[in-house]
Amino acid sequence: MLRETGSAQAALADASFQELCRRAYRFMLLARLAEDKLASLYRAGKIHGGVFLGRGQEALSVAGAMALRPGDIYAPLIRDAAGRLAFGEPLIDLFRTYLGSRLGPMRGRDGNVHRGDPRRGYLAMISHLGAMIAVVNGALFARRYRGQTGVVGLASLGDGGTSTGAFHEGINQAAVERLPLVLVIANNQYAYSTPTSRQFACKDLADKAPGYGVEAHRVDGTDLLACLTCLHEAVSRARAGGGPQLVVAQLLRLSGHGEHDDGAYMDPRLRELPLGRDCLPLAEKQLLQRGYVTTEELHRWRSEAQQTVESTAARVQQEPAPDPLLEDWCALSCRDMAEAPHGWESLAPGAKPGALV
Amino acid sequence: MSITYLEAIRAAQARALAEDPRVFIYGQDVGAFGGAFKATKNLAREFPGRVIDAPISEDAIVGFAVGAAIEGLRPIVEMQFADFSSVAFNQIVNQAATLYWRTGVPCPIVIRLPSGGTSGSGPFHSQSLEAVYAHFPGLVVVTPATVEDAYSLLLESVALDDPVIFCEHKFLYYHLKADSLPTEALPLGKARIAREGRDLTVVAYSAMVHEALAAAEELQAEGWELEVVDLRSVKPLDTDTVMASVARTGRLLCVGEAWPWGGVTAEVVARVVSEGLSLLDAPPQRLNAKDTPIPYHPNLWAAHRPTARTIAVAARQLLQL
Amino acid sequence: MPEIPIIMPQLGESIAEAMIVTFLVREGDRVEADQDIIEVETNKAAMNVTAPCRGVVQRLLAKAGESYPVGAVLGYLDVTAEEAARAGLQPVQAGPAPCTAPPTAQPVTPTATDRVQPTVRGLPVPAHATGASYMSPRMKARMAELGLHAADLAGVAGSGAGGRVTIQDFERFLASLEQHRITPASPMRVSVADAMRRSWTRPLATVGLPLRLDPILAHRKRSGLKASPTLYAIRALALALSENSAPAGRLVGNRIVHPRSIDIGWAVEVEDGVLVPVVRQVDQRRLAELLPQYEQLVELARQRRLPAEASGGSIATVTNFGTFGLTWATPIPLPEQTLVLGVGAGRRVPHWSHSRQQFVPVWEANLTLSFDHRVLDGGAAGRLLTRVAEWLGQPEKL
Repeated sequence: MLRETGSAQAALADASFQELCRRAYRFMLLARLAEDKLASLYRAGKIHGGVFLGRGQEALSVAGAMALRPGDIYAPLIRDAAGRLAFGEPLIDLFRTYLGSRLGPMRGRDGNVHRGDPRRGYLAMISHLGAMIAVVNGALFARRYRGQTGVVGLASLGDGGTSTGAFHEGINQAAVERLPLVLVIANNQYAYSTPTSRQFACKDLADKAPGYGVEAHRVDGTDLLACLTCLHEAVSRARAGGGPQLVVAQLLRLSGHGEHDDGAYMDPRLRELPLGRDCLPLAEKQLLQRGYVTTEELHRWRSEAQQTVESTAARVQQEPAPDPLLEDWCALSCRDMAEAPHGWESLAPGAKPGALV
Repeated sequence: MSITYLEAIRAAQARALAEDPRVFIYGQDVGAFGGAFKATKNLAREFPGRVIDAPISEDAIVGFAVGAAIEGLRPIVEMQFADFSSVAFNQIVNQAATLYWRTGVPCPIVIRLPSGGTSGSGPFHSQSLEAVYAHFPGLVVVTPATVEDAYSLLLESVALDDPVIFCEHKFLYYHLKADSLPTEALPLGKARIAREGRDLTVVAYSAMVHEALAAAEELQAEGWELEVVDLRSVKPLDTDTVMASVARTGRLLCVGEAWPWGGVTAEVVARVVSEGLSLLDAPPQRLNAKDTPIPYHPNLWAAHRPTARTIAVAARQLLQL
Repeated sequence: MPEIPIIMPQLGESIAEAMIVTFLVREGDRVEADQDIIEVETNKAAMNVTAPCRGVVQRLLAKAGESYPVGAVLGYLDVTAEEAARAGLQPVQAGPAPCTAPPTAQPVTPTATDRVQPTVRGLPVPAHATGASYMSPRMKARMAELGLHAADLAGVAGSGAGGRVTIQDFERFLASLEQHRITPASPMRVSVADAMRRSWTRPLATVGLPLRLDPILAHRKRSGLKASPTLYAIRALALALSENSAPAGRLVGNRIVHPRSIDIGWAVEVEDGVLVPVVRQVDQRRLAELLPQYEQLVELARQRRLPAEASGGSIATVTNFGTFGLTWATPIPLPEQTLVLGVGAGRRVPHWSHSRQQFVPVWEANLTLSFDHRVLDGGAAGRLLTRVAEWLGQPEKL
């Protein structure tokens, strides 16, 4: 059942693959530059809360999303800026959510990586790891229930997330229902500060797959071409009715857990290993070597992406912040089920003093 | 013909399945077996592919329902016991309850919690968790006390675009009977005056309504007239009806089968005191289960929760203040 | 050129402050947007503060080695208006506040009073509440609605705990009133009732002694002054208090409030009530001097036209209940006063004469002093009353 896919040699050499690589690289680049900008805004004190980067994980992230089609379900995690862009998220939504713009998809109610557009299959993660797997399962079930076939749902997780009960329940549920779930584990060697040695005792996370009765894929997460090939394979298997697919990628988190964290606890020797390579320059090299791009194109793309990032960040910084007076403070969609404010709660901004005697 | 509380729940689900193709039922043993309490008896046969057995994974069951709801379905989740919903707590309070507020996408799911004590059920098959879920914004918490409400409130919950925690009482499953299913009902969110009286207001919900009614009967012989308010849903809580009743009687006793710390009875008292202090002619009182896990032996169990007898004692004491 | 502050960023969810390690730029340096400019260290990590936009470092206010709270201004950049607008930054208008040192968090040691006191367990109706003294919030609200006071419930037997009046008792009482003839009380009656009710919240006591009236009667004849016994009493009380004003003080909490001036009032009966005109500094004015003002104020009081300066502010009151033919009474002091001096009706009584060894007829009246027992005791009240009587025994000195 275990599949050794994802080696660069297996890459297709046709024109559509070349185009796929070029598009994938541009999303990686845009994500990298956008996140660099976020880090900078954070250190200039302009972002409330944390900033979590996907530095070093762009290849895997983009490959997952690019294997999906319109109408598929996508549940990214915190290090998936590249995949989110590839799935169709406008770049401005990233900045709007981080900067809390009133015009953003989350309207200042939620921030940073907690963004999405569930109506079009792009789920907005909650912080509890593993919790999105079952939600993807339910969404996939709904599609099947309605008779829609050929839909795939992809959920991202890290090595730390595999230790949760939700991971176990979710992957088992998907297997029982034989749902077209692709669960992508980015084994980036650390869950916050905890190394994998304190997270699990199996030799390889992919070894868990047979226990659940799902197919496993291993891939070098630093290698864009390998990731594209592997994820294409996994998604195709799921789409064709092969049941849940577990993809485990080896790579290294090239940042702290968040920007408040310098990652000083990380073992520097990891950077010397193949899994410690930075996927972005590696992808450039691969694309140049294969003649998929020219140096001039790379320069132009970088400069265009930089410009897009700068102008988007500048635009969002001038957008209005959420206004407590305009907020409706109602957690229910059925307004008649919502209770009127009671007591001093009614003295919150925007509310008229209530029935205080 | 007579119909039990449990049959009313089954009938409401059958009707929801028949009338709305978006409705499906998901839970442990709900399929061919018909559910641990037979609340889904024969439904899997009548509605093939729509009454689905789940693995023993409460967290994933609710997460699954949220995903299906996002895609426009209207899942009904049966927790085998309310007690086990604690395993799904994260998906209920963090996923389902926040979805609409965060993303603008409604989350129309109903989570049925077989709640409350029955003799011999012990600490992990007897809990009443309505207060826990009512604490979280984004959830509607329904607590039917009658066969009619079990039917009509469940149908209304399924039709609602928000997540509903439907607390059905296991003791009432077989004990409570009505002549027929209702053809019309009070809307969800409105409390009901279960018995009129002028001397003292007893606010109760779920099985405690019947204990309160029995206590009212007992005190009538002594010349006291107790008014019994059935909340029907604890969130939204119909403060107006409670307040109007206290305005008539001047005395409030709030009864809940759940534990005393915080909770529904505390909320009712807090609202009446802060918004209706001048209606009170005596300090408002609460009667709850004892602050221990729920005991197994029938003797201990009967002493642990409020009963008609203890409600009558408390009411008498309050009436003499 | 607009100034843009360089602020200490939020460098982690629970990070409140960070220490400046070193400055990577100097004042006057040009910086680009996002350029690292200050190296800082939190208790979690070392990292760099970046320039919010392109500009020139105008001032650096922070010091290396010092810690600054999140949000503190560490310095300023001079930037062009376009650049500030592009970065969506608000330039500083007025002179910037200097880089304030972080407030050092002093550990607060909880004192005994900070701790939560245990509440009394058991029945919430106070154990010692009896009769009408405990009123429920609903009773209070209903009474306020009807303008009633606790005194109005004196005739209601309560059926609640400790005999308290429940709302049902009260409503029954109200219903029973409807069976009687009911007329509205005059405003004067209501106002006297209010004053008496407030006064009655204090422990009041009365002392008395017989006073020989002959010296006063002789003085009236001799002097030709048609002064009433009330005025004699007013003047005598004023002189007695001028010797020691402490008995006229008021007790508020644990302090005595002493009178500022010996201003004395007296009771004048008017229709359905009583008014109290006041004469100021009575201790400093002779009887003959006081008489015209006294007579004028009595007349004005009867017409209910008392001027503001002649009402209120007195420290004691004289009431001549003798005008009703009464020989003995226990008047109630005004709520804001400690003392009321009462004068009874004069009558001829037999008096044993030592010199003549027989009874002789004399004029006599009872003199009473009602007082707030919290302020003075029977002894002090008796001494004051005796002193008043001594002054009245020497009317030529009044």
